[in-house]
Amino acid sequence: MLGLGIESTAHTFSCAIIEKKGKQGRILSDVRKIYRPAKGEGIHPREASRHHIENSSSVLFECLREANITIKDLDLISYAAGPGLGPCLRVGAVVARSLASFYKIPIYPINHAIGHIELGKLLTDATNPLVLLVSGGHTMLLAFLNKQWRVFGETLDITLGQLLDQFGRSIGFASPCGKNIEELASTSSNYISLPYSVKGNDVSFSGLLSATKSVAKKSKVDACYSLQETAFAMISEVVERALSFTSKKELLIVGGVAANKRLSEMLHDVCKRHGCKFFAVPLQYAGDCGSQICWTGLLESQVKRGVLLKDTLVTQSWRLDSVKVDY
Amino acid sequence: MLMKLRKKGAEADIYQSKWQNSKAILKIRKIKNYRDPSLDSKIRKQRTIKESQIISLVKSFGIPTPLVYFVNLEKAIIVMQEIPGKPVHDLPESKIIELSKEIGKLVGTLHKNGVMHGDLTTSNFILFQNTVFVIDFGLSQNTIKPEDHAVDLRLIKEILNSAHAKIMEPAWKNFLIGYKSIVGNTNYIKITKLVSDIESRGRYAAVT
Repeated sequence: MLGLGIESTAHTFSCAIIEKKGKQGRILSDVRKIYRPAKGEGIHPREASRHHIENSSSVLFECLREANITIKDLDLISYAAGPGLGPCLRVGAVVARSLASFYKIPIYPINHAIGHIELGKLLTDATNPLVLLVSGGHTMLLAFLNKQWRVFGETLDITLGQLLDQFGRSIGFASPCGKNIEELASTSSNYISLPYSVKGNDVSFSGLLSATKSVAKKSKVDACYSLQETAFAMISEVVERALSFTSKKELLIVGGVAANKRLSEMLHDVCKRHGCKFFAVPLQYAGDCGSQICWTGLLESQVKRGVLLKDTLVTQSWRLDSVKVDY
Repeated sequence: MLMKLRKKGAEADIYQSKWQNSKAILKIRKIKNYRDPSLDSKIRKQRTIKESQIISLVKSFGIPTPLVYFVNLEKAIIVMQEIPGKPVHDLPESKIIELSKEIGKLVGTLHKNGVMHGDLTTSNFILFQNTVFVIDFGLSQNTIKPEDHAVDLRLIKEILNSAHAKIMEPAWKNFLIGYKSIVGNTNYIKITKLVSDIESRGRYAAVT
């Protein structure tokens, strides 16, 4: 089976082709173009969608060329139908719909967050993991139970990705700021006390964000160090809570913030403490990409025949714990 | 003293111990090397203080909790009475539904007396000789703010929704009946409204 996946939920427009044989998947191509807002600014939905429109045909063309196939070879097309920014989501949906209706190929709307998890499972050896999904859009702890991903903990306000980006932008970095913050943080070890807010299995980052901004007025370096230490310690604690509560023996970390080395170092230690295996999605596939959408579509095709064109909508707010997983 | 590890919890290890010839539990918040040392010691100390204080305080208004025998703040150790029952989490589903009402009453009593538990999971209620004991007060706080009480309710709802998904509805309903019977109708309405508010602030929550 050959699938094409289209991702356009936020700043990334990406197309990918995966070949599925039984339970195995091989990524033949994964091409991305990323919208970069100006320094200190966040993502502008209209500008981002413009960027996606301008780049959509070249990304698609490149992705087919790299995989060395034509559109007619495709067995299915999937697109990210949410959650995400409306204007951006629509670009991917339009591309998918046009191809599907012109070439008469089955089409699958995919939940972007489920895509992160499924791709993580494909690319690691995790079989029944507790999943930590950390990105710009999500901060969630999940375990699979009874045909659905269940939320064992999440952020009560902003996500870990937003925390890093909003702070980073306030000191003049360009989004995504995670890497810059990590670099600055590694030059300090002076911890300045910041609000640490763990509520059972949930976390709250908004107070931490404001407090870190005021620390940054004195020292940006110490602020970066203390922000990372506090936020990641909070995440590690809720991971520990969920591991001990669910008795899972595997942890899988997916999403853009999975690329942070300090976070994965801390989680490694958590796993050692709980006799649990640690898996992280490979760096190259941590961020948003077409592969996550494509692979999930291929999995869905095992049990569904695609949807009618009139049902190929986009949904800005679409929680992953509302999705039934039948494959 | 050689002690047997009973449970590696999220933030503390639980050992089987003895205190003056009676069975006891030793709870130690060990140093976590992955945390910045000053953050680590702050968290361990604060929680040891809070837990030992509140576990005793809530006894005064009738919440069954273990007796605290001994506290060592430097090492973040609490030695307390062992409750040799079973966590509600591990009981049969029909029993969990039944006990949810009692759990609701216990949480209602805590809130009514200005205490938020902070970590309401089904593992933190232990059934022993027909009495439900409440444990693990490390994240608890003295607070009369309805918002804080709502956070408590949301937590247990989240746990029912994830770990006990099959019995979520009857268990949650019973919990609310028990809770309401203690805090009264006015507070009940106020706090459950705040629970919906918190849920609607959640990421990608359905806009209603």
